[in-house]
Amino acid sequence: MTTNLKNLSKYEDEMWLCARCGDCSLADKTVASNRDVYLPCAIKNVLGFEAFAARGRIMIMNDLLNERIPLSNDIADWAYTCTTCKSCMETCTATADGVNLPDMMEALRKDLVANSFSIQKHEEIENSIINEFNPYKETQDFRLKVFGDREFPPKAEVVYFAGCTSSFREKEIAVTTVELLTKLGVNYTVLPDERCCGSVLLRLGREKAFGNLTSHNIESIKRTGAKTVITACAGCYRTWKVDVVKAGYEYDFRILHITEFLDELVTKGAASFELKDKLKVTYHDPCHLGRHSEVYEAPRRVIESIENVELVEMATNKRYAHCCGSGGGVKGTFGDLANEAAGNRIREAEESGAELLLTACPFCYRGLKDGANHIGSNIKVLDLPTFLLDAKIGKSMKKVKDEPLKLEFMEYLVDHPMIFDGLKKGAVIDYEIEGNRFHIEVIGKGEVIAKPQRAENPDVELTFSPAAVKTLVTFSSEDKYAEQFGKFFKEPTDSEWIRFNLRLNIVKLLMKGYRKFAQKAGLI
Amino acid sequence: MTIVKSSKTHPLYEELVSIAGQERVSDNQVIIAAYAQDACHLEAERPGIIVMPNSVAEVQEIVKLCARTKTPIVPAGGRNGICGAVLPRVPNVVMLDMVNMDKVTKIDEDVMTVTVEAGLRWAELIHRLDEKGYKLGFRGPYGGNVGTVGGSVSINSIGYAASKYGPSTEGVVSLEVVLANGEVIRTGTGWNPDAQLFGRYSTFNDLTGIFLGDHGTLGVKTKVTLKIYPKAEFLTYGDFGFKTLKEATDFMLEAQRYGFTEELILLADRQSTETFFPGLLNKHKEVHAFISAIVQETDSQLANRKMEILREMSEKFGAKDIGNFAAQMHWSEMFNLVQPLYNNGFWLNTCHLRPINRIPEVMERLWAIFKKYKLLDNDIKWIASCLGADRAYATGWITIFVPTKDKMEMALKAWNEMLDEIFDTGACPYWSGLLWEERAVKKADKNFLDTYWKIKKALDPENIFAPEVFKGGN
Repeated sequence: MTTNLKNLSKYEDEMWLCARCGDCSLADKTVASNRDVYLPCAIKNVLGFEAFAARGRIMIMNDLLNERIPLSNDIADWAYTCTTCKSCMETCTATADGVNLPDMMEALRKDLVANSFSIQKHEEIENSIINEFNPYKETQDFRLKVFGDREFPPKAEVVYFAGCTSSFREKEIAVTTVELLTKLGVNYTVLPDERCCGSVLLRLGREKAFGNLTSHNIESIKRTGAKTVITACAGCYRTWKVDVVKAGYEYDFRILHITEFLDELVTKGAASFELKDKLKVTYHDPCHLGRHSEVYEAPRRVIESIENVELVEMATNKRYAHCCGSGGGVKGTFGDLANEAAGNRIREAEESGAELLLTACPFCYRGLKDGANHIGSNIKVLDLPTFLLDAKIGKSMKKVKDEPLKLEFMEYLVDHPMIFDGLKKGAVIDYEIEGNRFHIEVIGKGEVIAKPQRAENPDVELTFSPAAVKTLVTFSSEDKYAEQFGKFFKEPTDSEWIRFNLRLNIVKLLMKGYRKFAQKAGLI
Repeated sequence: MTIVKSSKTHPLYEELVSIAGQERVSDNQVIIAAYAQDACHLEAERPGIIVMPNSVAEVQEIVKLCARTKTPIVPAGGRNGICGAVLPRVPNVVMLDMVNMDKVTKIDEDVMTVTVEAGLRWAELIHRLDEKGYKLGFRGPYGGNVGTVGGSVSINSIGYAASKYGPSTEGVVSLEVVLANGEVIRTGTGWNPDAQLFGRYSTFNDLTGIFLGDHGTLGVKTKVTLKIYPKAEFLTYGDFGFKTLKEATDFMLEAQRYGFTEELILLADRQSTETFFPGLLNKHKEVHAFISAIVQETDSQLANRKMEILREMSEKFGAKDIGNFAAQMHWSEMFNLVQPLYNNGFWLNTCHLRPINRIPEVMERLWAIFKKYKLLDNDIKWIASCLGADRAYATGWITIFVPTKDKMEMALKAWNEMLDEIFDTGACPYWSGLLWEERAVKKADKNFLDTYWKIKKALDPENIFAPEVFKGGN
């Protein structure tokens, strides 16, 4: 083992499982299961050489571990070109979750820092965070200036965690978010002494200040008595939701992205939005919100709920969406590279026919705006809260009634959990009957819950004809249900049929426990 | 844009930059490290410099430069082959990363051909044709998400739909190749500048065949013209279990003779089936060999009837009808079947062709090797699968998966014995590469090889294209 690569060397066994198929680099609209992968690495798509896609990166890291090539400034430059967007990992089917390149890159960055291969800009960012609790060398005392004279109560049900980028750079997002919350009548506050969430430190491989920031923020939130923390920053959200928990910190408040919070209001019928004129929009999934935190549908439901708005998808979207190029420290380290990647994403938005590109992250917002300028595009880019503030906002609206057959099917499935016997906890199946969607999540042995929306990241999507559902819900025995389910798939008729779209590869599904289900259905 | 700067030590660096631009040329060792291997374990020399050409004109200029300076040149496609064919045998090679040349240049509906740049990936081509209502014959290698058309036809690649249409090379109508003097040749009906690219064999002898499977030794392919067919929307599937491998291969041969199936794939034993489709045979204890059949037709009755005939045929060989799930998954997971198998460890492959009737014979010998090395006790799984090809032969994809690095030494011993037994039982590898070349050259008839070398010398007098390939070096 190479002694000076102690973080990277932990991934040696996982690197062994990469057989260099190259899907992470060059997969073109993967044929299998309609997975809409398209040249998944936004950085490789700009820089060209294989070294910038996951396959090449793993080869280079193997060379580092084998001391075939040394750590160098070239390696440092190369290492910080990765946005750690996780697109390669979603594309990869070599392991159940995909070979974890983002973690490997962050491990290598830690080793680079430990071995004094430092990038000046990164040192400045770290020092700024240590001294002023934000990466922008701004005075911490001015953090709340963005909100003008607005005063916030010491206690509230909800805390809005603004994040450094919205507080000091993309101020419009912070301002419009609090205005939106106010208009919606939310009982909220803002922390008087919010500090950086630490995301940028983790992404750059400089984690020493992370613990202090997190402890401080948790205590500050606790003092407000809030049970819910919302943020409009995808980077902050991922840090709170994933990294803080992974680092062993515990908190007893909910973390919601603003899009999830709005989705709850819209779904409950507590908020509605209406645009005066018809508008076609598309939505860019921020990597930290989407792939890293698996929130894909909530923002889409909010957008689709806006009267007069039509949501159209870009060629790559949701888990296979191209990165905007700003993440993982790339924007701050190699601004031109980030602009090129964002420019490519802007072209995708233009090709979708949308008049407006929405996103839900200040980093993506800045990156995409710069990308549009970079390529001379006229497409308008907005962050979701800013966009919503221009809409006519209602506080209530009649809740859309679900189709009776959908409700009946949901109830039936929850009452017959043994249909899902064998599936591992966390397995998610999405159901669709003539456009009406819901999903089932396995929450424990013999326990499932049905949620009335499309799943964020399902293992399998099932589509049923209404007649098939009507037949299936008549069976009291789960085995008979499974048997008939299999028949509808294997021997479909014009009126009774089932189709499925595997969102994971078959072997991954079998590893997640779908074998028993498939056997009962007579599929295997 | 360049982030990792070139070292500018390769003798041709400046001239290559003047042809392709700084952004598409690199001789930095960090960049080159990503081109050091393909999808197999084998290693050779590393390229001296990487160039990503965007056009035929650029390829011509690069080749002329290499010819003038007697610098070796190796073209590379998706680099996910599993035989090391793309790896240079000599130092300081100029490697052409061809993936920027990925345009569909013409879909000629009048003569049912499609012409593509050599760096286009199969998956993309399938989608482009599908939008227009067409399909390919041979559909691409199993790594067709990334594998390029030019790469496949350069190494006789085989894969999806080969059961009906034969290997990748069978579908080729014409090639555009940059020769060693930098000039361009168009084969097939392309010899006539005024003719459409509609046929491979016309007027003169078949020069297309000279370049197919050449492993990049005779020129740089820049365009490939392939046959296309009307899209066929109707699919029927069948899974058949057999008590013995002999019964399964007898059925396979019979079915291939009729040519009904788009894809006919055999898993030679329970272990292979379990590795491929865990749990598939749990309820079928008596099944020891397994076949999936896929029929694709433009008419539903035709598709149904062909599958019925196959079912009836299978009964004659004692087959058990075990549904169609595996066949459906096999087809719907196109280009993503093998990647999940990496979870079992790094793979050591033995891909080759053999007559279907000689599958049981080789498997007897390989099972003995698996037993001798106690592979399963060492957590080394295998998959022995055979894809029906053309009419009466099949691929032998017998692969072992090495779960951890420390098992590699033992696995390599077993693998080398496997290669020997495979050759000893009538195999002809479809590709050569580092995987097979030493054994293939030793076995090859002298007159055959001499003829090849005469052609090589005539076409590439300075020996710039992939030097040392087909010499049998290890």
